[in-house]
Amino acid sequence: MKPRPPTLREKRRYILARIVPHYRRIEARQMYIAAFEALTSLWGDARASELQMAVISCEPGHCIVRCRRNAEVFVETALSTITEAEGERVALHPLATSGTIHALRKHIRPIPEGHPVDGIAIGGREYAGILFQRQKVDLYAKGIKNQETLYFTCDEMEVD
Amino acid sequence: MVCTDACVFPYPRGDTSLRRLCLEARNLGLDSIVCIDAGERAQIHDVLVRRGVLIEAGSMQEVVARVKKEQRTADLLLVRAGDGAFNRAALSYRGVHILRGLDSAPKRAFDQVSAKNAADKGVAIDIDLFPLIHRRGASRQKALRCYRDVLRLHRKFSFPLTISSGARSLLDLRSVREITRLCAVFGMEPHEVEDALFTVDALLEPAGPVEVI
Repeated sequence: MKPRPPTLREKRRYILARIVPHYRRIEARQMYIAAFEALTSLWGDARASELQMAVISCEPGHCIVRCRRNAEVFVETALSTITEAEGERVALHPLATSGTIHALRKHIRPIPEGHPVDGIAIGGREYAGILFQRQKVDLYAKGIKNQETLYFTCDEMEVD
Repeated sequence: MVCTDACVFPYPRGDTSLRRLCLEARNLGLDSIVCIDAGERAQIHDVLVRRGVLIEAGSMQEVVARVKKEQRTADLLLVRAGDGAFNRAALSYRGVHILRGLDSAPKRAFDQVSAKNAADKGVAIDIDLFPLIHRRGASRQKALRCYRDVLRLHRKFSFPLTISSGARSLLDLRSVREITRLCAVFGMEPHEVEDALFTVDALLEPAGPVEVI
């Protein structure tokens, strides 16, 4: 089938969203499931079908979501209500909206690399974690059960 | 003017330390946060941390006792909403700054009499974004209905509003842009959101009578 000429195509908008924590690796398909659940639960099926939302890419630290023009406000609001994707706790913070993916890519910042740290004691429990720039440390409780995550800074820990 | 998140719960109530919450709040465009049970007022990573105390009491006597105990050390005293009679009494009591948790209060817990009391005493009503973000279905609909009602009364009686994320983790914090979008869901205009984000400052420094120098 012949593609539609550009003047007859529907106008689209692209939304760049920051994923927190940035090291969570989520597949685009799983992000789409999470975003669509948020969209339908907030705006209902009828409105969600009008918005034509799609996840274009989902890389560590950010994702790009496409929607119809004039629907970006609804999609951004729904993205703010995402709390979980692929069974992991995440948050999405919409950063910018544009008519082209190329323009959005200028807003993407490089992802800081983390360094593994070990032997951290907080409240009598042992934690391992990843140290990031600006002294951020994300900690995971050692063991199989109750692997809670804590978000701290270096100043607040006792490192062995 | 200082843009404030009116209620966050750092570690050990949540999973994020106070310093890390401040770092994230700075990234999200907030100037100040009200931390429940934080140590002291401090400036951390350019974010002003104010000490808040959340009073969760079953009766007004308990509220009075807690207010008397805490009002010297805390910057802000927040009271969890209860039924209609409790809310009216709490809103009339000098020393209470914010009434929060109306979304989980019983039906008709906040009516025009409470709204008038809040306006007269300058007590703010908190709009907690936590139920909008984390709840789904009927529970979220109830919160939205409640906030729509509070907004309608706010437009009539002009009592102050505050906005809080109720964050127990850095993942629960939201940027000013997101807060504006989320509040638009129940019909709050951007200028009303802006005013609500600046309210905490006004609560701490209420306008006094005009003095002739």
